[in-house]
This record gives sequence, C-alpha cells and structure tokens, in this order.
Amino acid sequence: MSRVLIADDSETILLLMRTRLEMEGYEVVTAADGVEVVELMQGDTEPPPDVLLLDAMMPRKSGIDALRELRAAGIETPVLIVSAHQDEMDAGAATDVEVSGYITKPIDFDRLFACIADLTTR
Amino acid sequence: MLTGLAVVGVARFLQQRQDFENATARSYQVEIAARNRLAAGTRPGAARTAIVSQQHERQSLRNDIDGETRDTALLVGAGLIAGLTGAALLFSGLISSMRRPLEELVEASGRLAGGDLETRVKIGGLSETATLGAAFNEMAAELQRRAGERDQLETMKDEFVLTASHELRSPLTSVQGFAELLMLERDKLDSKQADTVEIILDNTRHLVRLLNDLLDLARSDAGRLTIKPALTGVAPLVEDAVRTMRSQTEAADQTLRSEIEGELPPINVDRDRIRQVLVNLLTNAHEYSPEGATIEVTAVHRNTAIEIAVSDDGPGMAEDQLEHIFERFTRGDAGLTQHVGGTGLGLAISKSLVELHGGRIGADSAPGHGSTFRILLPAAQATAPDQPQRVEA
Repeated sequence: MSRVLIADDSETILLLMRTRLEMEGYEVVTAADGVEVVELMQGDTEPPPDVLLLDAMMPRKSGIDALRELRAAGIETPVLIVSAHQDEMDAGAATDVEVSGYITKPIDFDRLFACIADLTTR
Repeated sequence: MLTGLAVVGVARFLQQRQDFENATARSYQVEIAARNRLAAGTRPGAARTAIVSQQHERQSLRNDIDGETRDTALLVGAGLIAGLTGAALLFSGLISSMRRPLEELVEASGRLAGGDLETRVKIGGLSETATLGAAFNEMAAELQRRAGERDQLETMKDEFVLTASHELRSPLTSVQGFAELLMLERDKLDSKQADTVEIILDNTRHLVRLLNDLLDLARSDAGRLTIKPALTGVAPLVEDAVRTMRSQTEAADQTLRSEIEGELPPINVDRDRIRQVLVNLLTNAHEYSPEGATIEVTAVHRNTAIEIAVSDDGPGMAEDQLEHIFERFTRGDAGLTQHVGGTGLGLAISKSLVELHGGRIGADSAPGHGSTFRILLPAAQATAPDQPQRVEA
C-alpha cells in the first residue's frame, strides 16, 4: 500500500485529491502548505510517504521551496509538482532541483495515477 | 580685409577711368578749339602745335590709363583671389564644424531606427547643429519613454492573463474533479442526473480549453510561446495523449486506437507541447465525429522525420474549408459544431507549436470521407550510442 502526501492550500482540492487517491487504494496524508510538508517529512510520519504531490504555489512556503529544503536535508522522496501553469514551474523549479514530473490543473487523474504508479513501482 | 582690398581696387579703377575720360574730353576740346583757329587762319603755327601737343597728351593719358588699369586689375584680381580663398577657408571651417555633428546625427538616426532607443548625440559645435542635436536627443528620449510604457503595458497584460487564468483554474479544477467523481458513480445516478453531470463536465472542459488557448495566444502574440525540447520516445508520447482522451471517446462509443511503428527513433521535442498538439487533434476528431466513429493515431518513420497522423471517419471537410482550418477563429461548419466546444484557436496554436519544433502540420479531408491530420517532426540526430572508451593498458 503506497502512501501519498498531498499539499495544497485549497481544502476543496485536498478533498478531491484525497477522495480520488483513496478510491485508487492509496493511503493519503495532507498538508496545507510547504511548512507543514517539511515538518511532516522531517518528523516521524510512519511509514514515510512514497510520493509527494506538492502544489507549486502555496502561502507561507511554496511546493518548490519545500522541495528545495527537503533535498537540502537529504530527503529524496520522489516529488510531483502540481501547478496551474507551465510557466510557474518553469520559473520556480526545474532550474536547480530535480522533479519527477509535473501535473497541471485541472488535474487529469488518469495521468496522475499513471505517474504515481510509475514512481512507486520503480 | 582682403575683400576690402578688392573693393578699394575697383573703386580706384572707376575713379581713374573717370579722370581719364575727363582729361581726354578736355584735350579734345582744346584740340577742337585749335583746329577752329587753324581753319579761321588765326595764328596757324600755334594752332598746329596745340593740335599735335593735345594728340601727344591723349596718347600719354591712354598709356597712363592702360598702366593704371593693369595695376588696378592686378590689385582687384589679387583682392578677389585673396577674398575667395578667405571665403573658402571660412566655409570649409564652417562646413567641417557642421559635418561632424551632422554625420553623428545620421549615424545616431540609423541606430535609433535600428531599435537602439538609448542612443544619443553629443551636443556642441555651432548653435544650429547643437539645436538639432538637442532636438534629436529629446525625440530619442520620448521614443524610449513610450517604448518603456508600451513594454510595461504588455507586461501588465501578460501578467493579467496569467493571473486570471491561474485564479480561474483552481475553482475549475474542483468543478471538473467533482463532476468526474460523480461520473465514476454513474450507476447510482438516474439518467437525468447523469446527463446533467455530463453537461457540467463538457462545459468545464470547454472553459479549460478556452483558458489554455487564450493563454497560449497571448504568449504567442508576445513572442513568448517557447519550447523546451528533450529527447522523447514517440510511443509513450502518443500513448499519453491517447490515455487523456480515452474517457471522452468511450463516453461517445468511439473507438480510439493507436498504431506505432516499431523501433522509431526518438524525437527532440517539448513533450508537454507535442502532447498538447496531439490532444488537440484527438479532441477535434472526437468532437467532429459522430458517436460510434473510429479515431486512429499512427506514427511512422518518413525519411528523416517522424509522421504522427490522427484520422477519423467523421463527416470530413470540403476543400475551401480545408484551406483555412489553421487560421485563427476558423471552425468547422456551423451545422456540425453545435456540439463542438472548440475555440477556433486550437489548430492555429498547434501549427505554431509544431513549427517552433521545426516541423510541419497538414490535413487531408473530403466530405463524407473523414479527416486526417498529420504532423511531421524531425527525428533526433542519430548520435552514436555512448561507447565505452577503450583504454589501452
């Protein structure tokens, strides 16, 4: 049973993603922003998530910044960046941190599930 | 001063000429008087002497005036030459002091016309050229200011489109996501409810496409439609697009299948962008074809290119319509587009994207015989696979 951590500042979108992921048989942990993501990943979340789904733009700390911090702390869990725009990924990520993939909003769930399956069965 | 000399010379010449005329006239009067006396027989000897002496007098006056004239002419000539030389020197000084600033103005105008709005000229020299230079600099500064304002407006417009599309995308994600969730439990809905949810979904997808197309169009107009090519396998790319379309084609009982030639070389493309083009072509095929239609994607090797084709057995298009389909805001026949949620921008954007990759896009169709859209993308350069360096021990 794979565990997925999802971070988004919209509760509605968290609910949507949680529902779809649980229907697919994933265990879901949620976070409201990048600060919570870093806390969860550095704390003793047991078992640790297998994949992180981070929204690119969140208040307090963006998904990109959280990703950067996790990598600096030596946490190498695969990360999928969820974003409304190709542009903000271009601007924020890709340049200095390795990302396993990008998912654009509105979310194409079939594509998302394929990406997660790909990352967790490696 | 030298021209003054010429003037003085000319004046002197005129005075001497006058003196000469007066003296000659007086000499003739004396001679005429002597000849009258000779004719009257009064002291003929003295009269003859007077006549001869007056003739000599005039001869000497003529000699004098010739000499004077020659001197004056020399003087005038010298004066004129000196004057002209002075004028020439003065002018060449004037011209050279104007030429540099003028040349600089011409050069600066060239740079300005070439788009260097920061170009300015040095102000100096004669007051005329200085004024000209100042006017030029003022004009250049104004142009620069306006260009700055225009750029700022352009940036604001881009930011607005970006922000608007971003803000709209979050609620749309929820609407589409929850409508899809309802559709997953279609069995629990009665047929009227299921139809309702389907309408919500169709319209949400339409809104999303509008947003994406508007965003791409704004980028394309600003010359900011960019691609990030990477080596990409053809099969995963096509399958990705097909997977995205699967639920929609299944809902319309359409058959969607793909056939990809084995061992195709990879292509150097922006994966997301080419996927976008394929999804666009597939969406068109899906929307313009009736229920139960067959949509096929094929990928084959053509010389140094890979051809990906999307064909359907839908209503097809007449030639006059086919000519314009890659233009903006061109859509299929109104009779057919009642159920079609296109923006009229998809193919125009697809064409831009394919061309950004150095590829081509085209379409074949005939009424009643379906349509085939083909994109040709250059195959990645056949680089020799990394061979381990053989090191001689």
